[in-house]
Amino acid sequence: MNKDILVIGGGIAGMQSSLDLADMGVKVHLVEKLPSIGGKMAQLDKTFPTNDCAI
Amino acid sequence: MPENRDNDVRIGVFICHCGSNIAGYLEMETLAEYTETLPNVTFVQRNLYTCSEGGINEIKKAIKEQNVTRVVVASCTPRTHGPLFMSSCGEAGLHPYLFEMVNIRDQCSWVHMQLKEDGTTKAKDLIRMGVAKAALLEPQEPIMSDVQLRALVIGGGIAGMTATLALANRGYEVVLVEKQEALGGMLNRLNKLGPVMTDASGFIEGITEKITQHPKITAFTNSQVTEVQGFIGKYKVDIETESKTRNIDIGVIIVATGGRVFVPDGLYGYDGKKVVTQLEMEQLLKKGLDSNIKNVVMIQCAGSRNEERPYCSRICCQTAVKNAMLIKEQIPDARVSILYRDMQMYGVENEEMFRDSKAKGIRYMNYDPEKPPEVKPVAKSVQVSVYHSLLGQELTLPADLVVLSTPVVAQEDAVATSHLLRIPVDENGFFLEGHVKLKPLDFATDGVYLCGSARFPANIREAVAQGLGAASRASIPLSKGSVVVEPIISVLTNEEACRGCGLCVALCPYSALEIQNTEKGRKVHVIDVACKGCGVCAATCYQHALSINSFTDQQLEAQIDAFLEVS
Amino acid sequence: MLDVGRHPNISLMAYSEIEKVEGHEGNFTVTVRRKKRYVDEAKCTGCGACAEKCPTSVPDAFNTGLGTRKAIYSYFAQGIPSTHTIDPDFCRQLNGKKCGICQKTCQADAIDFDQEDKIVELDVAGIIIAAGYDVFDPSQIPEYRYSELPNVLTALEFERLLSASGPTDGHLDLPSDRAVEAEIKALEKKIGKSKRMLEKFEKKFDESSKQFYEKYNKGDYSDDKDRKKWADKYAEYLAIMEPLEDLKKKAESFTTAKRLAFIQCVGSRDFRFYPFCSGYCCMHSIKEAIIAHEHENETTSRIFGMDIRAIGKGFEEYKIRGGNNSNITYVRGRVGEISQGPNNNPVVTYEDTHERLVKSQEFDMVILATACVPTIGIIELAKILGVELDKYNFIKTSPFSPVDTNVPGIFACGCAGAPMDVPESVAQASSAAERAAEIAIQLRQVQNVQF
Ligand SMILES: Cc1cc2nc3c(=O)[nH]c(=O)nc-3n(C[C@H](O)[C@H](O)[C@H](O)COP(=O)(O)OP(=O)(O)OC[C@H]3O[C@@H](n4cnc5c(N)ncnc54)[C@H](O)[C@@H]3O)c2cc1C
Ligand SMILES: Cc1cc2nc3c(=O)[nH]c(=O)nc-3n(C[C@H](O)[C@H](O)[C@H](O)COP(=O)(O)OP(=O)(O)OC[C@H]3O[C@@H](n4cnc5c(N)ncnc54)[C@H](O)[C@@H]3O)c2cc1C
Ligand code: SF4
Repeated sequence: MNKDILVIGGGIAGMQSSLDLADMGVKVHLVEKLPSIGGKMAQLDKTFPTNDCAI
Repeated sequence: MPENRDNDVRIGVFICHCGSNIAGYLEMETLAEYTETLPNVTFVQRNLYTCSEGGINEIKKAIKEQNVTRVVVASCTPRTHGPLFMSSCGEAGLHPYLFEMVNIRDQCSWVHMQLKEDGTTKAKDLIRMGVAKAALLEPQEPIMSDVQLRALVIGGGIAGMTATLALANRGYEVVLVEKQEALGGMLNRLNKLGPVMTDASGFIEGITEKITQHPKITAFTNSQVTEVQGFIGKYKVDIETESKTRNIDIGVIIVATGGRVFVPDGLYGYDGKKVVTQLEMEQLLKKGLDSNIKNVVMIQCAGSRNEERPYCSRICCQTAVKNAMLIKEQIPDARVSILYRDMQMYGVENEEMFRDSKAKGIRYMNYDPEKPPEVKPVAKSVQVSVYHSLLGQELTLPADLVVLSTPVVAQEDAVATSHLLRIPVDENGFFLEGHVKLKPLDFATDGVYLCGSARFPANIREAVAQGLGAASRASIPLSKGSVVVEPIISVLTNEEACRGCGLCVALCPYSALEIQNTEKGRKVHVIDVACKGCGVCAATCYQHALSINSFTDQQLEAQIDAFLEVS
Repeated sequence: MLDVGRHPNISLMAYSEIEKVEGHEGNFTVTVRRKKRYVDEAKCTGCGACAEKCPTSVPDAFNTGLGTRKAIYSYFAQGIPSTHTIDPDFCRQLNGKKCGICQKTCQADAIDFDQEDKIVELDVAGIIIAAGYDVFDPSQIPEYRYSELPNVLTALEFERLLSASGPTDGHLDLPSDRAVEAEIKALEKKIGKSKRMLEKFEKKFDESSKQFYEKYNKGDYSDDKDRKKWADKYAEYLAIMEPLEDLKKKAESFTTAKRLAFIQCVGSRDFRFYPFCSGYCCMHSIKEAIIAHEHENETTSRIFGMDIRAIGKGFEEYKIRGGNNSNITYVRGRVGEISQGPNNNPVVTYEDTHERLVKSQEFDMVILATACVPTIGIIELAKILGVELDKYNFIKTSPFSPVDTNVPGIFACGCAGAPMDVPESVAQASSAAERAAEIAIQLRQVQNVQF
């Protein structure tokens, strides 16, 4: 049996950690203090160096 | 498995109000009445929210009680809600791929808020098209393939060694292949490691020992990968060592082949004696500097940020500052000047080292790339003249030693490696990751991962992080033990027609196609677990030999015909 | 983001905070407070009908205060979860007034004014801190006059202006102009009211207000109480009309910002605040200048910085492309002061180190590349977790084990550990996942093969 992992913060870093672990079959609890995840990157219009939209 | 009911086409259509998001702007009753008149439609229902528990139960009820054999939901976007509806169909005993979604919100009610009548007409068109396609849907089974629980790591520098140990610590077997006779990569040639100034040799010895003693790791040095066949989960890899060639089954591959230091032949009077590279400087410092050296000049961007090599090599400024401080440590009264364009001391640790170096008396002079410094031999030493752009003066600096900060460049055999693994390189010869921002450690092709200077020059902190990260990415298929692929992929539906021309093979971005010699001649073969269903091949094939599941020509044509037969 | 919301192995707890952590690697007990949203997460479909009807407007934090949202809101349109939240500071119902309009509007019956916080306890083997960063508040730098000059913005505010889904639909409207437009709107509302009042009088006395007022001023009707009231109201009307006309005339000449200045190292590489380099801000200034130029191709940008640190893959090329194709010039030098010029245009005074001259230049808008600073609450969080912070309050890690904290089983990634851009954050996030997986996943028993 796998054990669970807690991720604190749902910005791009927290989301990527959570997805990697979840894809490995680990149950992840993702705790975000704001009403939605996304972090700063969600506030950006487009991002370098590819200039595609942020999320 | 759900029974195949594709011969009896009975379509149930669920039209969602989405609260007022759709119902506020379209005539829902008209829409429902119209839908009832469409061919094969046997059941129509409106829901306040089709995605709510109540709505989902209605779909399940219709499948069971109304014997509906195709489900169409006209609502929002499949991106957010498609998977929910599909799995609900499955739970009710209908094959999930006998489901079709029509977007009458984002692409209709939201964009035509002021035009109720026209919006409703468009929604009718969209539903009619969806229903026409639904009638032709076929069940698809997910594709599954086992994964060999063994990883191959190519390159035994710090990035590759970190990835190897991480995977081995997770319990997977790892085969590490290193071209040189020792593990350690570039670090074998370094003196002290910034920013903490640890001895490079001790650091590498410690890690090498962990690797050689780990029961899960087989490390081959003086070795090379000569052939790679197969795809994610099922690679067959030839590894040539001094004694023999082995053929090993591999599940995933990590590329950690690092980079090499550019040799500045013909630049700034480079001779390897009075004018050396930072890499050569590492060895000089390790041996101990000749105490007669009093004046040292370092020149940044020697061979980088120019037309031929436009990129900034990221680590040379940190290296120069580190070595400048180490010179001061050995010869406190030495004058060390660094001629630079921009000091790339990004982040917390680097900027701190930069500040410390200024406090220790290292001098920084900004030069203009239009007027680069010149190095001239004089008597036993050399002289560097530079236009100091901040003082607006031409300065002449005496130098017992000139150190050129040359960039890290791609390995000479990087292109060969890229062909071997069918992965791309960028315009500077470094390997090109799946997405520069969001998939820095993956390739577009599943099953191959990337870390360290093979991707782009990195310092040790970054190379270690990437080594761990690549291990994480590679461990995903390993921990699943199998790869499951959505069956919306390319299939060779008309084998007769395929001429084996290979046009599609060249265009497939995921290396999912190959040409095979069959009894009927050269034919394309789809490696189904590698295909992502993008459709490039089907669109390209002038023989119409390939087709994409759930997006077949017949289905798309039915949609177009339905659109054209205006009611 | 969507994948996170949908993944069967991820249990998402947004609008929640860590209260307590006990135990050790392999065996932590974590107490999480799930704050009340006053909206039932299971019932809310995120349709937004409630927010449309809610009468209370509030500055929108997601849009860095440049726009407004309602007291019931989703943090941003594509937010996951899409569950709405009632802002208890502004909601009329929760502040004792009669309202509850959202409750009446919601067809899913999701509004619950009696909801309470929930305390959840979790057993986990390891913890990853990915709490990110905040942007530096530039009002601390007196010489840049961020709080006084309306057209001096932070880079994050500028991102919101550039965004098609932002408060200006992606147009670079000057904040000073937007303030005037807001004033016009407010005055127009007043005028409307005042007009309706005057119409009543006009009907009653069957005369236009203007005609009446002329007579009144000559001394007619001086003892008529009702007419005196009329006159007062008309005077009031004129008092609003005059500035309104002026403002409207002024607004006719409003254009979008075309001359942009970007100022680097605002709060970073500055001994008064944060001596470190924030790593990504040179790049986001270049990016913002490129996008502004894409929006309107007469836009010119000057980027003022000591070094332009374009250190990632493809970054130097990006910088050069920006210079060649997007009217960007790079000026080596530190900006000494920003002052008020004509028409609210900020004037930048700087030392051009190449020409060794102090120069001044007027711009339409100045954008400050503010430092990446430790996020609010990180000190408390670190205390709860027992992890060590560095001298700036980022989570402390070491160069050779870049995601390990001093507590075994607790890892850090992204800007919580140090400033870094998205590619680095993503790479580190995978590293932290790897380290955590080493604890969470039971070792596989695989037979070793000898080659
Ligand atoms: C103006 C601007 C433009 C930028 N443009 C780019 C760009 O174009 N390209 C690029 O690569 N980078 C860009 N960056 C940098 C980029 O924003 C960061 O690299 C990235 O967002 C870091 O992600 P993160 O997940 O570490 O942090 P964040 O995005 O800050 O996420 C942290 C999350 O944790 C949450 N959180 C914080 N504390 C707690 C707590 N105690 N409990 C629970 N949750 C908590 C926060 O609410 C947030 O959701 C830009 C930055 C700025 C300021
Ligand atoms: C002069 C200099 C000084 C530096 N100083 C510091 C410092 O003080 N601090 C710091 O943090 N960083 C420093 N660095 C950076 C550091 O060297 C890199 O971070 C590190 O070497 C990156 O490791 P890597 O594993 O990605 O690549 P590498 O070290 O280049 O290792 C790659 C390995 O792959 C092998 N290989 C290549 N091709 C193949 C193939 N086809 N098959 C099999 N094997 C192959 C190579 O032989 C090599 O062993 C310095 C770099 C230079 C050039
Ligand atoms: S659909 Fe795309 S991925 Fe699949 S074989 Fe065709 S081109 Fe390749």
